[in-house]
Amino acid sequence: MNSSSAPSIPASAISRIQVGDQLQPFIRRTDFDNWNRYAAVNDEFLPHSMNDEAARREGFPKAFGMGNLQWSYVHSLLRAFIGPDGSILRVDVQFRNPNLREQTVTAHGTVTGIDGTTVSIDLWTQEDEGARLAVGKALVSLPSG
Amino acid sequence: MTETYLNDTVINAKGTLCSRSVSYPIEASAIRKWAMAVYWPEPAPQKFMDAEYAPEDFDAFAWGPASYASLLPGDDSSVVVRHGINERALGFPEWKFRAGLNGGMNCTYGVRMHVGDVITDVKSVGEYTERQGRNGLMLITQSISTWTNQRDELVKRTINTGICY
Repeated sequence: MNSSSAPSIPASAISRIQVGDQLQPFIRRTDFDNWNRYAAVNDEFLPHSMNDEAARREGFPKAFGMGNLQWSYVHSLLRAFIGPDGSILRVDVQFRNPNLREQTVTAHGTVTGIDGTTVSIDLWTQEDEGARLAVGKALVSLPSG
Repeated sequence: MTETYLNDTVINAKGTLCSRSVSYPIEASAIRKWAMAVYWPEPAPQKFMDAEYAPEDFDAFAWGPASYASLLPGDDSSVVVRHGINERALGFPEWKFRAGLNGGMNCTYGVRMHVGDVITDVKSVGEYTERQGRNGLMLITQSISTWTNQRDELVKRTINTGICY
């Protein structure tokens, strides 16, 4: 599943944003086909993202994806929110759990503050059962109007 | 069983400048392929297919730098460390870990990256700490990466956290 019926808040102007608004989630089912593509552009051929056995040797139940790719998913979430005229100012993400193979990863965001044209956002990614894989915060700027 | 990872050399290294890398000029095809991989299986936004600018998360050093120089005394720059820093050249202990994981990233952004930009990355040592976890004593590492473009404008400053056990 790669789309969502959640309310969409794209291409935002600051006047249309309120504290508590939810960003349109960014959703990807993850497996070797995602990770191999990302490895190919980022030269990130990590054994634990390439086969289950390598991940098991590190103590995980199966292969898991790159933190850098979740980082990119979070940025994709923010880009859809800010639209073409907004800017990402700061992103801070901590990884809490591995993104195991065959999980659907959903990146979420909630507006927590507005100061002028600057918007604070709580971020997280979660897997199918709702466990959080990464948590963080972002600061973005939106066009006035 | 390791009692501590943090000797004086490790603790006192905080703030040390480690390396300077310079990227090849950013190519439109690199931006396009990056976006296609990140957004797959959905199509990438047209602005990235047209390479108007690079996604914020784009790594200009993904397939290696055009040049790399260690800033550490006595280091001949023969070991290029893409993510993190050359701990051996810093005199850190030669730890043997079962796993090394990405703990997180904290990034402050400046100007966007565009086709033709040449990025300089200066890496320095952040804070090293340790914590007891279910897999034993974990070493928490930080490296700081500051990117500027050919006009000396800040592109981004990233604190990368690693977790080793």
